[in-house]
Amino acid sequence: MRFHIVLRYIAFALIFNSLFMIISSIISLIYSDDAFMPLLYSGLVTALFGIFPLVFVPATSTITNKEGHLIAVSSWLVSCLVGMLPYLMWGDPFTITNAWFETVSGFTTTGSSIVSDVEVLPHGLLFWRASTHWIGGIGIIIFVLSVLPFLGIAEIVLYRSEISSMARENFHYRAGKAIRIIAGVYGGLTLLETIALILCGMKIFDAITHAFATIATGGFSTKNASIAYFKNPTIEVVIIIFMILSGIHFATLFSVISGHVREFWKSNVVRYYLAALLIGIIITTLNLHGDKFIHWIDAIRYASFQIISIGTSTGFATADTAVWPSLSHLVILYFALQCACSGSTSGGIKVDRILLIGKASLQNIKKLMHPDAVIPIHLDSHVVKEDVLTKSILYIVVYLVIVFLSTLFLSALGVDNLSAFSGTVAAIGNVGPGLGSVGSMATFSQIPEPGKWILSFTMLLGRLEIFAFFLLLTRAQWRKTVAY
Amino acid sequence: MGLRFKILLGFLILALMLFIAGVWSIYELNSIGSSVPKMLNENYQSIHAGKKMIESLEREDSAILMLLLGKWDEGRSLLQTADSLFNKNFEFAYSNITIPGEQNQLDTIKSRYESYKTLWQRPIVGTQKEGSIEWYFQSIHNSFLSVKSSLEDLIELNDKTMYQMASNLDKRSNRAIMPGIVAVISALVFTLIFNFLVNYFVVGPIIKITGRIKKFKENRTPFDVPIETRDELFYLSNEISDLCTLVGSKDRE
Repeated sequence: MRFHIVLRYIAFALIFNSLFMIISSIISLIYSDDAFMPLLYSGLVTALFGIFPLVFVPATSTITNKEGHLIAVSSWLVSCLVGMLPYLMWGDPFTITNAWFETVSGFTTTGSSIVSDVEVLPHGLLFWRASTHWIGGIGIIIFVLSVLPFLGIAEIVLYRSEISSMARENFHYRAGKAIRIIAGVYGGLTLLETIALILCGMKIFDAITHAFATIATGGFSTKNASIAYFKNPTIEVVIIIFMILSGIHFATLFSVISGHVREFWKSNVVRYYLAALLIGIIITTLNLHGDKFIHWIDAIRYASFQIISIGTSTGFATADTAVWPSLSHLVILYFALQCACSGSTSGGIKVDRILLIGKASLQNIKKLMHPDAVIPIHLDSHVVKEDVLTKSILYIVVYLVIVFLSTLFLSALGVDNLSAFSGTVAAIGNVGPGLGSVGSMATFSQIPEPGKWILSFTMLLGRLEIFAFFLLLTRAQWRKTVAY
Repeated sequence: MGLRFKILLGFLILALMLFIAGVWSIYELNSIGSSVPKMLNENYQSIHAGKKMIESLEREDSAILMLLLGKWDEGRSLLQTADSLFNKNFEFAYSNITIPGEQNQLDTIKSRYESYKTLWQRPIVGTQKEGSIEWYFQSIHNSFLSVKSSLEDLIELNDKTMYQMASNLDKRSNRAIMPGIVAVISALVFTLIFNFLVNYFVVGPIIKITGRIKKFKENRTPFDVPIETRDELFYLSNEISDLCTLVGSKDRE
């Protein structure tokens, strides 16, 4: 393991973080708020940490898979560490635990917050908070790779280390092109949503920060009541559209932009994703009508926003789901576990894996009838390899084990069972709000300090798709290997 | 980039981190320092004036009771002293308006006090009012309570602002300390990274070069030390390599 090479690549991530901190400090200056110095100093410290390895360590385009892997995971951890600085320097309500929780929640695009009154925070700090979503949504390394000139083999290794295994399966482009597609779609969607929200009457600052949070499927709002604050159905419709789009594989969106609209409807992952959301909305609407909302239009409006928000792992809110009936809670929990498509900014188990498991179950039933038959599993017209299926099953099992363990720890800390379970599901799926005391209109501020550390750890596990993190803990990862 | 620049850069970064943290801490401490007298001047003195006004108002109340009992000289003398004390403190409070809403509060006090004053400015001793406890409770006491409550509101307004300012000071003290803590931790981490890189890119190659020279000296093993960087060590290694080749060829001759 060549640590100096790892340091050099982490330095790029640091430089990018510092750039956003400095932009945030400029915003702070524009709005004449008190966050200017905390943001500027954090930006400078982060930049100095980034500049030094870049100057000291010579450039290299050959890195090993293990180094690439360490770079990807370390970039997340280091970004979370330096990302805490503006919060720590700001002070109340950010203790070390709270600052860590808020930063991890931001970078992992979870959107769970410990801030009870977000509207008292200065604009600069709110912009930094939204930026952590935007940087984390695309993935720090992908962000870096999309801007830097071609890095040779290192780019391929880093791309493979950063992007989820399931998303990789569906990207049929070379690493360089895939990175540019991701960055292009991501940037394009953000710009489009910002313009659309401004046209709907949102202030420029709110439009940018909410676009950052939507496209990254994050969920941090600049308002205490989240999207409910705006009381504007047009804004809700715009956000709904962009939440749905952000939950679709970026390569599929790119196909549509390139004029291959049929690709979109041909994809059974997209079809399942949209159908599941529709069914979820129908069930919730029927459940809410009468008891919670007298008018059908209100039931449809709030059910669709909340189900899409949770089903894409965004976490914005227009209603307090904690007071909804238990059937609606179950639907919300299902979507918080499943979330959206791989290759998007969404978290959770992902639609692709759920669909794969469903197809594998059908395959097994068919095999019971025809034991010698060779029945391949197709996903978006591609045959799924056996190891992909095995990995998916293993992923879901480990995912659920982590959910169970985290719920257990939180319950032991005195958190009620519903809040502990839904909070964990929301954290590992990078969804944001849970149910109970951590509902859509509540915060995580009342969770005990150790609980916040457990939840931030599960957020990281979810964002790094579990195995990437655990791989770091294996001895084999640290053994000497030859460069790629 | 040369070794000299790289090492200098390392120290410069360390110095810069500490320097910025120091400057910021001094700035924050300085603003805390200037906030304390400001808070005392703006709020504490208004609170003090408010308390003095309440005290003089209570003295006036006692003086009115004396007049009701027919004690003309003592009552009038006490009223005059208390009134001048009230006016003095009111003028001070009026010249020290610093909080939004304070002006309105003082205007209310002024109008209420004037109506209160009109009640006792007219003669009491030797009139029907003398000894009339009903008149006292129906007119004087209510007016007295009304002025007192507006004075208490003024004190509360200043109290709240003082509390807010004290909370802000607490925040600012955190901001004065945090850069220092961050700078110290960052400097420690940076020193570790700096040490690691200097060790890897400077000390390591020097040890390798020394070992290779030794081997060359002992059994003429060809000098071959690959240096990743294009700095002084790279040129030194090349020069030594050339020298060894030269010495080797001289030996063969």
